Amino acid sequence: MLDTNIRPSTPRRLLFLYEILALILLFIYQKDNLDQYIIGIGIGLILLVHISNYLLLKISKGDNYIFLIATMLMSIGLIMIYRIDSQAGVRQLMWLALGIFFFYISYFLVRYLKGLNRLIYIYIGLAYFLFILTFLLGKRTYGAINWIRVFGVSFQPAEITKLILIFILASFYYQYENFKEMKYSSYILMAIAYSFIGLLFLQRDLGMAVIFYAIFLAIQFIYEEDRKLILLNIGLAVLGAIIAYQAFSHVRIRVATWIDPWQYIDDKGYQITQSLFAIAEGGFFGKGLGLGHPHFIPLAYNDFIFSAICEELGVFTGMGIIMLFLLLVYRGFKIALGQSNLFYRILALGISTLFGVQSFIILGGVLKVIPLTGITLPFVAYGGTSILSSFIALGILQAASEDFEWRMSDD
Amino acid sequence: MFNILSLLFKYIFIIIIYMFIFSIIRLIYLDIKGMNNTALGGAYLKLVNRKDSIPFKINEYYSIGEGLTLGRRGDNDIVIKDPYVSKDHFQIVKDEDEYFLEDLNSANGTYLNGERIQDVVPLKDGDRIRVGNIDFLFVNKGM
Repeated sequence: MLDTNIRPSTPRRLLFLYEILALILLFIYQKDNLDQYIIGIGIGLILLVHISNYLLLKISKGDNYIFLIATMLMSIGLIMIYRIDSQAGVRQLMWLALGIFFFYISYFLVRYLKGLNRLIYIYIGLAYFLFILTFLLGKRTYGAINWIRVFGVSFQPAEITKLILIFILASFYYQYENFKEMKYSSYILMAIAYSFIGLLFLQRDLGMAVIFYAIFLAIQFIYEEDRKLILLNIGLAVLGAIIAYQAFSHVRIRVATWIDPWQYIDDKGYQITQSLFAIAEGGFFGKGLGLGHPHFIPLAYNDFIFSAICEELGVFTGMGIIMLFLLLVYRGFKIALGQSNLFYRILALGISTLFGVQSFIILGGVLKVIPLTGITLPFVAYGGTSILSSFIALGILQAASEDFEWRMSDD
Repeated sequence: MFNILSLLFKYIFIIIIYMFIFSIIRLIYLDIKGMNNTALGGAYLKLVNRKDSIPFKINEYYSIGEGLTLGRRGDNDIVIKDPYVSKDHFQIVKDEDEYFLEDLNSANGTYLNGERIQDVVPLKDGDRIRVGNIDFLFVNKGM
């Protein structure tokens, strides 16, 4: 069955069909109080997805599945966000357009800028600068200081810092032979990574701290020659988790509401129970788009979009989303294996880990598999900086999927 | 009216999403199957074009071994059903650890690094062989 010929354009057509049908349905749903946005958002979405996919096919000789998967995820997300709140849907479309623009920018920068692998000190400085900026200008939302407002736009610096961390690790292990001559260089790198994680803890951004830690550990596990360090790291992580649990009350609350949210249903556990109710309400095939009650879910188009999708479009769609993420991560590792340049290979590896861990943390959180931490589902959830950083990461991955050494010999 | 449509559409959405996933898995599967023979080592031809931009069956890699032939007819080592390709288009032969490219009087010619070849020419690592719209890279790391 897998052997039969298949046209490469088939997934694109299915994506188009999905978008058209969903938009027609939303059009009928809103026919009593039709606003001017629906036409705009429909045309905008379809043009955005298909022009960018077509362009990429012309420009890039690399992988052509990752962007397709990302656009499918973003279509599912956008239609759901628009159905919950049409204003947010319009804003999300603008963020997506900007995100795709940044996708191309980061793609071209990574592809054509040489010497990205020698800027390790600049990356480290930039990361600390963003942290300091967060502490100086940050405001507290949902218990975490991770937002700053610049020119009226809310902005989450840690979303950018996580990409910088990948660049730091990639340039460090790219020049590993040089750094090995420096004494304790691996320990210094570790201290830097731990300082990032500690700062995130102070900001109470637990989800992001876990992402940073996972990326650091994954790349160190693969490339570090001093194997003791890895054991040390795992030991420190366990120790850190215990200390954090003892020292910070907000960590204890997260764990308590994870173990038994029903006990705190009127207060702290409310988010998780509403999420579970919504998923159970949907069943395998869902209530149908527009027939569920996503307004009962707190932060329905943000952290809990997965529950809202499960309620209206069914657990099968939810499993589909998980499969799309699996495919995305699989392609990312495949790209890393095929890339002969070490720097770009580590970048691809770090970004695949990022997508995998980030989607696991939030999906696990809303499904009550692991304690809930507030991070966004890449490409699906509403959120400006998160969309931008996901698309920038995707652009880097796209650039890394190309054969660099072959291009250099060609030019 | 809306309710019935919505109930109907939710099944259609699930079917479309799964068909999308399935078609991507199938494309990836074909992709992986096409590169299985790279592990053979020795000299090989690598397709430069994006594989799915070519509307007929083609592999990403062809191991050369002791030599190979390319053409439209079925008994060639590389069969390309492109009307631009002649029935027997070119051949690569190995002679004492060197590879030579020879055009078999094809109608549209064979191009090596942009120049149409007239006679038998030796191949070196990194050469580009062009037939119609299809570009191959000759890779021979063993030399």
